Amino acid sequence: MAGSSLKSFIKDVRNSKTLAEERSIITKESAKIRTKLRDDHLPAEKKRKNIQKLLYLYILGEKTHFGQVESINLVASDDFADKRLGYLAAMLLLDESQDLLTLLTNVLNNDLNNHSNKYVVSLALTALGFLSSSELARDVYPDVEHLLSHSKDPFLLKKALQCMAKLIAKDVSLLDTFSPELITGILNNHSLCSHGVLLGVIKVLQSILQSFTSYQEFLVEDEDEDGNGNGTHAKENKVAESNQEFFIRILEPIIPVIPHLFMVLQNLNAKNFEPDFDVQGICDPFLQVELLHTLSLFFQLGDELESSEILQYLNKFSDVLTQIATNTDANKSTGQTILYETTRTIFSLNLDQPLRILGVNILAKFLSGRDNNIKYVALNTLLKVVPQEPKAVQRHKKFISRCLRDFDIFIRKRALELTFAILDEANIVELVDELLHFLERTTEDDKSLILFTVERLVDVFDMYPITNEKWQLQVFFQIMKLVGRHIASDKISDILIIINNAKNSTSKRDVLVDMMKYSLDEKLSLEIPEENVCWQLASIWCIGEYVDILLESQDAALINQRSLTDYLCRCNTRYNEDNRLINYTLTAALKLSAKIEDTKCLEDLRQLIVRHTRDPDLMLQTKSVQYELIFRQPKAVKRAILETMPNFEKPHKHEKSSSSKPVKPRNNQPKESNLLFDLLQNDNGSKTSGEKKQPSSIPQSDLLADLFKGTPSTDRTSSRSSADARGIGLLSQSASETVQLPTQSVKIHDSDSLQVFTHLLSCGNGSSQLEMYFKALQPIEEIQSFCAVPKTQKLTMGQLHPQNSLQTDDVCKQSLKITGTGKLKLRVKVNFNKNGNPVNQQFDYKFDGSL
Amino acid sequence: MAIKFILCFNKQGIVRLVRWFELSASEAQRTQDVMVQIYRLISSRDHKHQSNFVEFSDSTKLVYKRYAGLFFVMGVGLQDEEPIYLSHIHLFVEVLDAFFGNVCELDIVFNFYKAYMVMDEMFIGGEIQEISKDMLLERLSTMDRLE
Repeated sequence: MAGSSLKSFIKDVRNSKTLAEERSIITKESAKIRTKLRDDHLPAEKKRKNIQKLLYLYILGEKTHFGQVESINLVASDDFADKRLGYLAAMLLLDESQDLLTLLTNVLNNDLNNHSNKYVVSLALTALGFLSSSELARDVYPDVEHLLSHSKDPFLLKKALQCMAKLIAKDVSLLDTFSPELITGILNNHSLCSHGVLLGVIKVLQSILQSFTSYQEFLVEDEDEDGNGNGTHAKENKVAESNQEFFIRILEPIIPVIPHLFMVLQNLNAKNFEPDFDVQGICDPFLQVELLHTLSLFFQLGDELESSEILQYLNKFSDVLTQIATNTDANKSTGQTILYETTRTIFSLNLDQPLRILGVNILAKFLSGRDNNIKYVALNTLLKVVPQEPKAVQRHKKFISRCLRDFDIFIRKRALELTFAILDEANIVELVDELLHFLERTTEDDKSLILFTVERLVDVFDMYPITNEKWQLQVFFQIMKLVGRHIASDKISDILIIINNAKNSTSKRDVLVDMMKYSLDEKLSLEIPEENVCWQLASIWCIGEYVDILLESQDAALINQRSLTDYLCRCNTRYNEDNRLINYTLTAALKLSAKIEDTKCLEDLRQLIVRHTRDPDLMLQTKSVQYELIFRQPKAVKRAILETMPNFEKPHKHEKSSSSKPVKPRNNQPKESNLLFDLLQNDNGSKTSGEKKQPSSIPQSDLLADLFKGTPSTDRTSSRSSADARGIGLLSQSASETVQLPTQSVKIHDSDSLQVFTHLLSCGNGSSQLEMYFKALQPIEEIQSFCAVPKTQKLTMGQLHPQNSLQTDDVCKQSLKITGTGKLKLRVKVNFNKNGNPVNQQFDYKFDGSL
Repeated sequence: MAIKFILCFNKQGIVRLVRWFELSASEAQRTQDVMVQIYRLISSRDHKHQSNFVEFSDSTKLVYKRYAGLFFVMGVGLQDEEPIYLSHIHLFVEVLDAFFGNVCELDIVFNFYKAYMVMDEMFIGGEIQEISKDMLLERLSTMDRLE
């Protein structure tokens, strides 16, 4: 069908019965369009039709690049219909990077200055808002400026303003010629100020306020390249100068706008009904939200520049926010939108405590509602504000716990993070119970949430001193029982460490016996699914380790030499594919053999080990051969070799506790010591729990660290940093009470009262983890730190640990995680009290690496 | 605060409207893949119980809503406020509805260029430019008559 209409083409595509048919129609038509567009003599109407079809192909996701030039030709046409379609095609088919944009520049120049047809100007502006490269921005800037100063048509003004905002954002240097009076003039002319124009004005303001940072960054970077760091002083001067200039020329004229914006905002907020702008009884929520955001940018910059001209309005702004927070209807979703933006503003400016508490309460109220959208954003925001108002957020833990039961997995995830963020010594029992309830209800789909919970729980128990050991053991007993099959191997090691380190022997015995009941009793063991490898692993390990304790139990009918031996043999056959489990089983069998008398059992255990001397897996084979050697040693020797594990310190606790570690007497003979040495060397490669005595030649804790982590001797620092990095996020922590400065840290700030150091743990692949250390040179209190990263990056900060008040030479640290792209740099602001007087300091630091 | 893209597709994932306002170079190479990912992500969600917001990549989150058989999706920055964009979508759909007179998917399929006209009168460079429905409709009907 030659020359068929757009409509029939669309119909044909829709009516095709098979994919192949559809494909053939599309390919044919695409080829036809391609030929037609090459024909210079095609009548305009036909040309339009072909471009329209091409656009339909674009929507379908077909290749359409061959239409780009033709779309620009259409734009250049004098016919309005051509021009309109041409602009639409240009906006869909071109993108900002293409050279073809330069072809468009001339046409845009002409169209922007078309005085006879405002619709042509409007089309050009729409395209410009969409397609501005920085060259294009410079070329058409004068045209837009001209429109702003001469046009009296709100329809064009609002578009021109939006374009101006885009152009400034595209090329900061345009601010050099920008005149703020353009904006203030429009704002003061009430006849022009429709809501659309106001939106435009606000966008320009936002663009100016935001460009300040990139403007300065640009300057700093410039300096860095030629100064190489030694002209720090000159650099500071230069930055200060440019700040000053920016301030006087651009900011000062727009500061008086602030009270005007207050007024507009208050009027909108107080209005009851305006049919044109009403959304669910709220007057123009769009404009209200943009106003709040703009004002927030004003005060952020005011804070940054410490400008009294801006900050003089801060009290008034607090009043306005309070007014909005109390007067806006929280039952409507548009009202919630405004309240939400209000709380975001409160926290981004870190306003006074009463307002912050008001903000937290608004968010908590959102949580209690039924609207998942608002619940989701409230959780996100609460998560961010916990460091600012921990107590206020804690008060709403009931609502947070309720969100753990929400249907939406994302809400559950956020609620989970928030639960950990508010967890502290006072509420640990209550919240951990909530978490166990949560784990009980999890399903297969929640695997990531389960892993997250277990990981964080291990950290939590690491961080807070637990007085009730039995409870702690029971928690992990429950965890293994409920979700053991999802737990990763390194977390299993962590749990085993916790069991191993429990000091109270009665509670340890009680919990272990309980655990064994589930492993050994026929009925109860049905509750533990076979895939729960974590459970089996822990049981096997406990049998090897705690035979003595287990055999003391009252329940001899269930727990005896025979049943324990049988359990190991069962695991050996049932899990013969799982090398890690077999490794554990072998060691447990060897250990068990040292502590029981029953000859039949001993023979079974020997068989278990001997069977693996021909194992196809080399590691298992070597191990069992060596174990068999030990097995044959006299009982006394065996017992000595196979002592119970000593108290195990996690690698990152090591520095603090190495001196206090009890040194165990060694009484085995030199020959065996060598033999053991060989064994241990082998173990480095295999994933095994190591329950052997250490030869003196290897430092004890290192050896244990290697064995437990199951990694081939990593050096201590790297394993420590990975352990620390896990604690990142809002609940950042390390296990020790006092923080020490790592040797690799770099000093990034120095003053008479405070030094700041940083230590980069990892960097690359779009994410980086680092720590900041604050070292006091004088006693200081209530340290607060605020960090900013470039716009392309996102920052998550942990809390200061262990406390935010320091004595001389004390150190506290804070974990940061940065994701995104670009160079890694930080702007840090630190507030603290020295002798009761507030001090604040600010500095920038640029790392070597990039994300 | 700016919209990175506006997408509209039906329940089968067939795209009906697409407009990229801001595109990183790597995304521009594979817009089709990106749209397929977005469709998969959104169509797999539970529309009764789950929120209308979902994180899509490390720089973008999606705000979306289903109207009959059509999904309207906006991509926004991670730091942006989500609920207001939901209002954006709703306003857009209301205007489409009034402009076409009880809009349905076929209106958008056959008159996609008019739907783009509506979009361009409401949004410019990823920012909302007009909020008044009456003003929009008046302007749109004038423009519709221009030939």
